[in-house]
Amino acid sequence: MLIEFKVNGKSYNLDVCPSLRLIDLLRDELGLTGTKEGCGEGECGSCTVIMDGKAVNSCLVLAPQVDGKEILTVEGLAQDGQLDLLQQKFLEHSAVECGFCTPGMLMSAKALLMKNPHPTEEEIRTAIAGNLCRCAGYSKVVAAIKAAAGSTDRSPGQVE
Amino acid sequence: MKKEFKYVGGTFPCDHGVRKVTGDLDYCCDVKLPNMLYAKLLLSPIPHGIVKKIDTSRAEKVPGVIKIFSHFNAPDKMFSTYRIIPGQQMCIADETLFAERVKYVGDRVAAVVATSFAAAREAVSLIDVEYEELPALLTPEEALNNREVKIQPRGNVAHEYVVDVGDVPSTTEDCITMESETYTQRIHHAAIEPHGCIAYYDSSGKLTIWTPTQSVYGVRTVVAELFDLKYSDVRVIKLPIGGSFGGKQEFLFEPVTSFMAMETKRPVKLILDREECIVHTRVRPEVKSRIKTTVTKSGKLLELVADSTLNAGAYSGAAPDYVTTLSQKVCKLYRIPHYRHSGRAVYTNTVRFGGSRGWGAPEIITAVEIHMDQVAKKLGMDPVEFRLQNLVHPYDMDQVLHLSLGNARVIECLTKGAEAFRWKERYNSQDKQGRYRRGVGVACGAHKNGMYGGFIDSTSMVLKMNEDGSLNLNASIHDVGCGIGTVMKIIIAEVLDIDLDLITVTEADTEYTGYDPGVYGSRVTYVVGACAKKTAELLKDQILENAALILGKPKEYLRVENGCVYTVGEAEKRVITYKEIAEKAVRENFRCLNAAYTYYSTSNPGSYSVQFAEVVVDTLTGLTSVTDFLAVSDIGRALNRGMVEGQFQGAVQMGIGYALCEEIKIDDKGRPLNNSFANYHMLTALDMPDVKVLLIEHEGDDGPFGAKSIGEISNVPTAAAVVNAVNNALGTSLSDLPVTPDKILAALAEQKKVGAC
Ligand code: FES
Ligand code: FES
Repeated sequence: MLIEFKVNGKSYNLDVCPSLRLIDLLRDELGLTGTKEGCGEGECGSCTVIMDGKAVNSCLVLAPQVDGKEILTVEGLAQDGQLDLLQQKFLEHSAVECGFCTPGMLMSAKALLMKNPHPTEEEIRTAIAGNLCRCAGYSKVVAAIKAAAGSTDRSPGQVE
Repeated sequence: MKKEFKYVGGTFPCDHGVRKVTGDLDYCCDVKLPNMLYAKLLLSPIPHGIVKKIDTSRAEKVPGVIKIFSHFNAPDKMFSTYRIIPGQQMCIADETLFAERVKYVGDRVAAVVATSFAAAREAVSLIDVEYEELPALLTPEEALNNREVKIQPRGNVAHEYVVDVGDVPSTTEDCITMESETYTQRIHHAAIEPHGCIAYYDSSGKLTIWTPTQSVYGVRTVVAELFDLKYSDVRVIKLPIGGSFGGKQEFLFEPVTSFMAMETKRPVKLILDREECIVHTRVRPEVKSRIKTTVTKSGKLLELVADSTLNAGAYSGAAPDYVTTLSQKVCKLYRIPHYRHSGRAVYTNTVRFGGSRGWGAPEIITAVEIHMDQVAKKLGMDPVEFRLQNLVHPYDMDQVLHLSLGNARVIECLTKGAEAFRWKERYNSQDKQGRYRRGVGVACGAHKNGMYGGFIDSTSMVLKMNEDGSLNLNASIHDVGCGIGTVMKIIIAEVLDIDLDLITVTEADTEYTGYDPGVYGSRVTYVVGACAKKTAELLKDQILENAALILGKPKEYLRVENGCVYTVGEAEKRVITYKEIAEKAVRENFRCLNAAYTYYSTSNPGSYSVQFAEVVVDTLTGLTSVTDFLAVSDIGRALNRGMVEGQFQGAVQMGIGYALCEEIKIDDKGRPLNNSFANYHMLTALDMPDVKVLLIEHEGDDGPFGAKSIGEISNVPTAAAVVNAVNNALGTSLSDLPVTPDKILAALAEQKKVGAC
């Protein structure tokens, strides 16, 4: 089937098999391998991307659901070679260890801040509750998101 | 005099941090080679049986299928996935590429290689296998009692040992004895990156393997021996790794993937899915330990007698070493006049165990620390006071291994931690009534710093300064996700006083980087870091020698600062940058700046952690939440502070899961019940308390700037602290992990029954 969608601001028209998962569409068809697969069943969050402003597990989304949608992946966070404030804060706060959960974690955090620029800690923890991290125990991730939220106005590449 | 550091102890992002946050870093799953094929394994659905027949006719019809392998068309040479060095002791070669007799649900039966992953997956589902089922032994008890069924030709016991050191001192004091049994369950390492690797065998007969492993040289040993290749013809390249925790320390898939690459003459990639990671790779072993202590009424330990049984699963792997290691952890923590530990590793027809963060320490220390709380309770003593009387002191001898424990500061961890946690106050005034009960728990743990004392513990590296003043460290670095590359940079930067950004660090590659056994025994910071420091000092010497030639001053009159060399003791100071020195060294002095060093570790002190937990247990549902947590650790010196804290916080996530909810259960047909993240529960951001980290930093051992290990010790006492807190909240003595709501409710019901009688 033919689908039309945008990824990181770029438009695509693709003929795809209807059972193709969004994660495979991104990784195999578009070469955007920043989105990771940790479980393939909606449980780990490492495949999280933003679809029309909402964080989704791309391993659970099928190609037909992508038709007409706008997708943001981890590759779309930095703008003009400048890291998004969330990415900067993740690095500064030691929130990145092995980094395999990081793209998904960033996208869940990004979706939260797009909707709610000044979340409480509880709201932050809820937003990333679907993202498993085995390395860092979440404290640093929460701190990084808090720090990014504290100064969202000055964030380069920050979504309105 | 307090030393000032400019880089050491600061907080720096992990190596390749920018590439990680932009999604640009290629992990194994992201790597694509031209002409690459994809492999998928067929795993056994039964726990024990003979693979009688394999019908691949339907599978072969799937478009894209290149070849299907099983024991019918693969070599049957035995190998050990655990062997790092040739002829290594206690490595039992007992597996083949594909099993003829499958020994657990998840054993490797066959594999399909195809031009796409989808084709390989479809073809695997169309392979028909005829098994002759054999009786399966699913628990160590069954395996020990059944003399008919032999899981391995040598029987059902992989290894047995007894350690017996010291004597019971005579005392005039009254004593008590205490006996307990603790069960710790199997858990999944749960690195978020699934397992996998890529192999390619080129027309010259050279095999290249790309793998997120903990030891490239170990992969080389196993694969070269298996296929009779020259070691130099096997090139193993370490890929970025998405977590390991011991799960990627054995050489699990490199042999089978290499075989498929050699047969097809094309690059072959194998990536497992989550279920395969859980049922087919390795798990932390289940261990049952009985402990008996004799203690004086005033709280002095006289004797500890322990007996442990470890479930090895169906193959040997690390079993002999691992089970012996259980006996080597306790005397690193406590002064015990008479210590006896017997144990055995038992084969069963269940998922295989393998090295796991802490290597036996979380298993045995959980048992010991739950036991110590029971002793304190019987003595009517505060658990902190009781432990303080018995913990090791700085520079005590490890009486089992006959090694100095170095500047062991566990007592300081406990006293400072108790103060910071307000232990006394919280322990004495707990809310023990009503539906929600609050309790606090403490536990201590010990771990090691390398392999010295029984295994090669050396590493080699080269550090060169380029003509523009930038540096390359060429070393077999295996970053397992903790940012060890950055640690190397911090060490070099501290010695040379230069910006971290000027340094590039390689990861391991058997063709280009020097020998290093790999990531074992918490050796990397302590040993590889010490080598980096020594190598940087040698380079610094070369920089000064060249500067001396350029400046016409003896090098004793020179010092380095901020990427420059200064003259000292002159009215008019002269300065020359590293860049100028490096350039002139080549052009005018005809010398290069290149330092090489091989370091041999000669010590193995203890690292310590004492952890405090507060829990609230809902007596109606049996649910426990950890509401506060403090991890105090004697780590010698923090090199990258933020990453150290993060590692502790991650270790506590794993440890709370171990205490409360993580478990791979096996049903009566031998099938793992917790085979996906949907039914294997780990703590999320919502379940985790804010974990506070307090570091005790004293130098005194051989690590770089006094640093000691953290990766494993951080996880050692966590589960016991949580379980002790639950027992404190409820007045129970739960010791069957994980302490799930069911077990808690059963213990409360039992308590009520006893109270009513
Ligand atoms: S891969 Fe999609 S949630 Fe785990
Ligand atoms: S950083 Fe490794 S899983 Fe989160």
